[in-house]
Amino acid sequence: MRFKLIVAILTAAAAAGAPVLAQTRSAGRNITGSWEVYPLRGEGFGSGVPPKTPIAAPKPIPEPPLRQPHLDQWRALQAQNAELTRKGLPPPSSGMACMPEGMPGMMGATFPMEILETPGQVTIIEEAYNQVRRIYLNATAPAPEDAEPRYAGHSTGRWDGATLVVNTVGVKESVRFRNVPHSARMRITERIRQINDEMLENQVTVDDPEYLTGPWTWTWMYKRWPTYRIEEYVCDDNRYFEDPTLRYQRLRVN
Amino acid sequence: MSPGCDRLRLAVAAIAIGLIAIAPARAHHSFAPYEPTLQIKLSGVVTEFKWGNPHVYFEIDATDPTTGAARHWLIEGASTSILNRAGWKFNMLKPGDKVTVIVSPLRNGEPAALLKQVTLADGRKFSNGAAAGTATIE
Repeated sequence: MRFKLIVAILTAAAAAGAPVLAQTRSAGRNITGSWEVYPLRGEGFGSGVPPKTPIAAPKPIPEPPLRQPHLDQWRALQAQNAELTRKGLPPPSSGMACMPEGMPGMMGATFPMEILETPGQVTIIEEAYNQVRRIYLNATAPAPEDAEPRYAGHSTGRWDGATLVVNTVGVKESVRFRNVPHSARMRITERIRQINDEMLENQVTVDDPEYLTGPWTWTWMYKRWPTYRIEEYVCDDNRYFEDPTLRYQRLRVN
Repeated sequence: MSPGCDRLRLAVAAIAIGLIAIAPARAHHSFAPYEPTLQIKLSGVVTEFKWGNPHVYFEIDATDPTTGAARHWLIEGASTSILNRAGWKFNMLKPGDKVTVIVSPLRNGEPAALLKQVTLADGRKFSNGAAAGTATIE
């Protein structure tokens, strides 16, 4: 009798706690903490400690499935930029102007990033440019016409089992990951899940009915860095400027 | 083809790119303005150390290895976080310190250079992180 009562109490407690748990994270998974991009980028960039279980590197990010004439224009731009960079005249970039990368570029984790799970929200802080994105769980995404353009856009998410599915809209049209143009109707879907205790996978899909013929998909992977504390990165001493004649990134020497 | 004509063609190409690329996304700025393979060694005295982002800079008075003349150099490091991870400290250098650096100078001849390795007066050596490349001379 007493045993049955305890079981009943425990069952009731578990049932009562379940919705809260579901809102924060899936049982048995914990993505809170510091992460560095994988494959590791080497000395001075990260921990330099390889994963305990060898993991294959994700495939390179493919060419975007742009509609014409955007695809031809994009290919020409990439070729010209590469040629100018080879000549030592790199074209101006958002980074040169100390601007944040925005979405989806910030999830490429140039520097380590921190993920925080709190009730109803997942927050991702990228060290480079102090970038922050807030993912509101089980919330309604704004309609494209209501989403104020932002660098990180507006993100909503839900746990699908052990996978955090994140939907992002409202990215500023001037934010161009890999120089790829997009419209106000661009939607980014991320499926974030732990492969094991120390590896996190992010399957990214970009859809844009105006610019893309279909989904543009790739995977980023991250390795947990338990001891790392995210540093401050305020870009306040930029010495590069756009050369007024040749329009390349030039260093202010004096 | 004259260098001037080459420059004009380049300018036209750059303007064309500028029209297409309103805000290309790239982390930080490029190291492409520096010599891609040439490395030189400079020994001198620190006149300024600026610990900041996007990148750390310091200035030294050193003898130009080719002309033998005294020259003031701007030395570019990586970001504060990369250098912290490479073992640097924010107050590691100060004006008056003697240092030896292995660097790649700007391709345009101006007195600035990308750091590969710095050796402090006490003999400790520090790299500039993986993106800046490693020293290939001693």
